[in-house]
Amino acid sequence: MATFISTLWEGVRYRGGIGNWAYLFHRLAGLATLLFLAIHIVDTAFVFFAPSLYAHAIDIYRSTPFMFGEIALVAGVLFHGANGLKIIVFDYRPDLWSHENEKRAAIIVFAVTIILWIPAAIIMGNNLIQCNFLHLCGE
Amino acid sequence: MKVHLKIKRFNPEKDSKSWWGEYDVNVDPTDRVLDALHLVKWYQDGTFNVRRSCAHGVCGSDAVRINGQNRLACKVLIQDIVKNDGDTITVEPILGLPVIKDLIVDMEPFFDHYKSVMPYFVNDEALPADGRERLQNIADRERYDQGTKCILCACCTTSCPSFWLNDDYVGPAAVVQAHRFIFDSRDRAAEERLKILNEQMGVWRCRTAFNCTNACPREIPVTQLIGEVKKALATGEIR
Repeated sequence: MATFISTLWEGVRYRGGIGNWAYLFHRLAGLATLLFLAIHIVDTAFVFFAPSLYAHAIDIYRSTPFMFGEIALVAGVLFHGANGLKIIVFDYRPDLWSHENEKRAAIIVFAVTIILWIPAAIIMGNNLIQCNFLHLCGE
Repeated sequence: MKVHLKIKRFNPEKDSKSWWGEYDVNVDPTDRVLDALHLVKWYQDGTFNVRRSCAHGVCGSDAVRINGQNRLACKVLIQDIVKNDGDTITVEPILGLPVIKDLIVDMEPFFDHYKSVMPYFVNDEALPADGRERLQNIADRERYDQGTKCILCACCTTSCPSFWLNDDYVGPAAVVQAHRFIFDSRDRAAEERLKILNEQMGVWRCRTAFNCTNACPREIPVTQLIGEVKKALATGEIR
């Protein structure tokens, strides 16, 4: 059995077209969201069990790399949702799975993701600049 | 014209891991990739191995990965993948099946999955009164027509990321073969096949990456057929 890493690498190398890229992004976005939610549930639980650790977790959340990561994560969540809806629709109508439809649908999913992500990225990016670069946020 | 062939080589008796063999060959633009591979084997390196039988896209024995995509070497023209004189063509074995030597893979695991979905006609009912064929109308025959085109080359199954990750997954080709009988109005084992495909390593492992449909040399809408099997499982209706 090919390992997870080699599958990921071959998935990138394989020239399957936009459907292959949609599949890859969908899986990676799903994994990233799952990981974030797991971390988030644990650190929120710290409020009750270990308040000092919670404060430390919030500091990490406010760090520049983490905030950049959150902006990317929003793109992942939006893509995962939009692509998931595409798959649901196509699974109810298998006859839609044609070369043309798949290509068109994948482009629409990427476009919807970007359109929804831009305002979120502007708001979150603005917050990042204000707090971490201009230091205008209060403690 | 001249093309530069980059072929993934592996000899289990000598090599601990695969390596790239590089060869320059003179071909006509209308030659096929298989012709170029023949030139390497016949005139440059007799130790190089590629499997082919009919060499005309019918037997499906020369499935390889050409320039990053699964294709039949006998169906791809040089002029369709090369723009300029001296351009490179990469050829690798299909992924997910054990490599025996160079471009030849062990197809047994693939055929085991094929056999697991009962790819044969099942009907124990009495024969028609005339003792001859079980007749079918045009619409009923059309319903499973796409699945009959499969030549079991494994281009689809070995382009599937789910199969790369877990080779216990039956794979697109086996689902296509199951579809061919599930939707045959004369067959009586659809429920058994659906039960097999409803298991953990069955049809639900398909993540709709669409690589299988793009790779099929017979232009079978593989993802659509898989979707129809999924729908039959979800709704309990075979239509």
